[in-house]
Amino acid sequence: MFNETVLKEIDEIKGRYPDFRSALLPALYVAQREFGWLSHEAMSYVARTLNLPEAMVRGTASFYSMFKHKEAGRHLIQLCTNVSCMILGAERLVDFLRTKYGMEPDNTTQDGRFSLVIMECIGACGTAPAMLVNTDFYDNLTEGKIEEILDKYK
Amino acid sequence: MITITVNGKEIQIDKPMTVLEAAKKAGIKIPTLCHHELLESYGGCRLCVVEVERMPKLQNACTLLAADGMVIRTESEVISKVRSEMLELLLINHPLDCAYCDKAGECELQDLVNKYGPTVGRYKEEKRKVPESHTDPIFARHMGRCVVCTRCVRMCDTVQGASAISMIERGGRTRMEPFSSTSFNCEYCGNCLTVCPVGAILSRLYIHSYRPWQVDKEIKTICPYCGVGCSLFVQVRDNSIKRVIPKIGQGLNNGLLCSRGRFGYEFIESQERLKSPLVKEKGKFKQSTWNEAFHFVAGRLMEIRELHGGKAIAGIASPRCTNEDNYVFQKFMRMACRTNNIDSISRIGFAAAQKYIEDLLGQGVTSNIIDGLKNSDAILVIGGDPTAVNPILGLAIRAAARNGANVIVVGNAKGLVPIIRDKTLRIIHPVFREADVLELLLTNIFKTQDVRAEKPAIDKRIKELSEKPVKMDIKEMEKLVKILLGSNSISIVAGMELVQRVDGHRSLFAIAALTYLLEARLFLLSEKPNEQGLIDMGCLPDMLPGGRPINVGDFKHKFEAAWKESIPQDKGITLMEMIGAIRNKDIKALYIMGENPVFNLPNGHYIREALESLDFLVVQDIFLTETAELADVVLPALGWAEKDGTYTNLERRVQLLKRAIDSSSGIEDWKIISEISSIMGYEMDYSSAEKIMEEIAKVSPLYRDLTYKEIGAGDCLWPYHGEPLRGELNEVPVAVDITQDYKADFYLAIEKPLFHSGTLSRRASALRKICPEPTLKISPQHAGKLKLKEGDRVNISTAQGTISVPVSIDASITDNRVLLSNNFENKGVFNLLNFSLDKVTKAPGIEGCEVKIERK
Repeated sequence: MFNETVLKEIDEIKGRYPDFRSALLPALYVAQREFGWLSHEAMSYVARTLNLPEAMVRGTASFYSMFKHKEAGRHLIQLCTNVSCMILGAERLVDFLRTKYGMEPDNTTQDGRFSLVIMECIGACGTAPAMLVNTDFYDNLTEGKIEEILDKYK
Repeated sequence: MITITVNGKEIQIDKPMTVLEAAKKAGIKIPTLCHHELLESYGGCRLCVVEVERMPKLQNACTLLAADGMVIRTESEVISKVRSEMLELLLINHPLDCAYCDKAGECELQDLVNKYGPTVGRYKEEKRKVPESHTDPIFARHMGRCVVCTRCVRMCDTVQGASAISMIERGGRTRMEPFSSTSFNCEYCGNCLTVCPVGAILSRLYIHSYRPWQVDKEIKTICPYCGVGCSLFVQVRDNSIKRVIPKIGQGLNNGLLCSRGRFGYEFIESQERLKSPLVKEKGKFKQSTWNEAFHFVAGRLMEIRELHGGKAIAGIASPRCTNEDNYVFQKFMRMACRTNNIDSISRIGFAAAQKYIEDLLGQGVTSNIIDGLKNSDAILVIGGDPTAVNPILGLAIRAAARNGANVIVVGNAKGLVPIIRDKTLRIIHPVFREADVLELLLTNIFKTQDVRAEKPAIDKRIKELSEKPVKMDIKEMEKLVKILLGSNSISIVAGMELVQRVDGHRSLFAIAALTYLLEARLFLLSEKPNEQGLIDMGCLPDMLPGGRPINVGDFKHKFEAAWKESIPQDKGITLMEMIGAIRNKDIKALYIMGENPVFNLPNGHYIREALESLDFLVVQDIFLTETAELADVVLPALGWAEKDGTYTNLERRVQLLKRAIDSSSGIEDWKIISEISSIMGYEMDYSSAEKIMEEIAKVSPLYRDLTYKEIGAGDCLWPYHGEPLRGELNEVPVAVDITQDYKADFYLAIEKPLFHSGTLSRRASALRKICPEPTLKISPQHAGKLKLKEGDRVNISTAQGTISVPVSIDASITDNRVLLSNNFENKGVFNLLNFSLDKVTKAPGIEGCEVKIERK
């Protein structure tokens, strides 16, 4: 269950809206931050804290691809392969991540260091290819640049 | 008045409605897929598109409100093309596995594609693959077939109020799932099954076992479980029930059912059914012929009647039997056995409550129309969980809450707690002290609302009570009084926990007085399907059919004339008094029809001892129950789907029960009794249940002129052509006030669960799969104190005995009661509970039973 500070934070979130239902998305973000991903247990806590049906919490959470539904590595890499990124070689970058780091899309590396998600457009078409590592944004990617970036995430 | 033109036909409507509804009123059918009559309009599938003159695009008939002067076409080349393309899109992913889909033949998508659909699809990509799920005990999910109409989710959210399922993920991957992907773990009402237009949600009870067009017959009948009396359609093939479904527009449940009604029918074909009459010889049952059994029973009863008089014989009638069975039963007891000792298990709840309240306020006051609950501004719920005891009535309360009604729950009505959420009130009170809460409420209401001066006895008692008000601190009381006084339409829903107290009559008086002061509608929860009917038929020691008091000469003479025999002089005694009289050897013979008192009465050991001491015990039942095992003679009866008859529900609605399957082993209860009665010298020669109703319609003032034809047509509420009696008490009966403080660590109390009812449900394998064993329900705080986790096995001990069960933590419990149900063999809570009689209602007070909980 959430600790006292988190419960207070959620209470504060609840106070911002006319009903608890509206507080669901921000509360889910808090849960994801606390537990790393949204397990059934975590969603159940959120449901109890907001007095909402569990199924509804899961329905909402599963609609948004930025919520994690699988236990994830310490760092989440989200790489875009939509049109602009694809033209500029994003698919080669996926292969690079696969061979160099042993990453598979939607999977976590054996050492638990990275999870890779292929994501839809992040609006960086002008500077493609682009990716997010956790919440940090990187663009104009090349294999060399990726190596350099990932060195920072242990 | 709004006038619209649909397909050249003028339609006039007098209230706002959608084009779809208006067209339907005029008999014009517009195809729909996501729309469902029981649900709000959704506008998701676009199959109901219509052309509206002067509107630029096609419009959804299900969301477009009809406006004056609209000119609408529901079929045209353009419309057909659009519908065809919408269906083509749905068929991109829908598997077209109709050859082995259970829904084929009654699939809405199949019908629509047949009418509008493309013959060839242009999309060549592979269909999505979603694995089938067969892990739930009841529902199979084939989500590859789901067309994402969301009917199931909307049903579960807005009508059932269970919110157990939702649409998960998005786009092409969208599908319905319960929270835990494997099991629904819900109320198992199955209403999602009813609304699913395709074969995406299926019932595992009949999966792949037949096709809809292979049903031999479909019989409309009434549910065998609770006092609501929902209409069921029983579908039969090869003399076996394949499926039970509700239908929209049929019966008071209007297309809805609960888990017991929909999935609880399998008991009727149980292997444990009794096959032939059994007569005990030297402690062992021997099969006998019907003729031998009839003569044996009649002979023994005559012997006892001659030797000790009729007052040494008693009879227990059954709220599971029909009106006809019960009418014949009481007539047999009075005329042939010469006794007024007739009562039933309803004494521990419904019958006791109803008698007390009707004596004060008049006949019929406890019966109101369930549908009317939806229109209440305020609903006070006390003494039980309506969503478990009478689930369809519970849905009406949930609907009222959605309509903005204040729902006030006193105590522990688990199924309403999520609904009231933070909007209205929940009142937690010291254990077993409902009477104090109600009297406190009554006196508080009385402070601002003066008496009505119509019932002097009630007025006097209210004044007496307000002179020495109850001392109890309920902090929500002020708010509650404000809500009630500020509401125009108030309903009171009273559960039978109120009756099962030593001072139960105090609660009943307060309920009656509140009903009277607030001009409220009163609903008594009724656990069995024919509790009201049983009372109407005169299965009470002091009442003749039609609720006519036996001690009023005029009524008595009328019945004596009709029955051509005098009514016995001796006063009859009530159920719990009978047990005492049996133990004192005053009663020597007991005739039980369709009841299991050893299991269904508190202190089972005490009851068992009493029945064992009888000279002669006859049990008529469909199973060899705990009680039947003690009998000298066991007579196999017919069960619910095997016989004709009528039930009267808690609204006093008389409804037809129809035979759906034939049984080779039993005989109708009324027929068994008639045979024995005739041998005993009181001739009964009814040829059918209908003939019995003809007699009832002649003698009972409440059922006057009622015929099967009229009952079958629906909406027969008594008083039919007769008159009800007004309450005529000069003095409100009260006993010495006993208010006890309960300070022990834990008290054992009765749980009324949603999935079980007892003798029948435990033999319904689907209900057994949903809920296989009893659990001890305990509050999270107390579980924490005892360091108990979900599923830990514990021994629970009272002065009466010990039972070992797993623990289940229940957050809706807020006090130091632990709850156990009375449904499973050898694990019934009644075996652990003791009772002492409420001196006024003669119902057993079951309170303050201390219990020890030890980890096993």
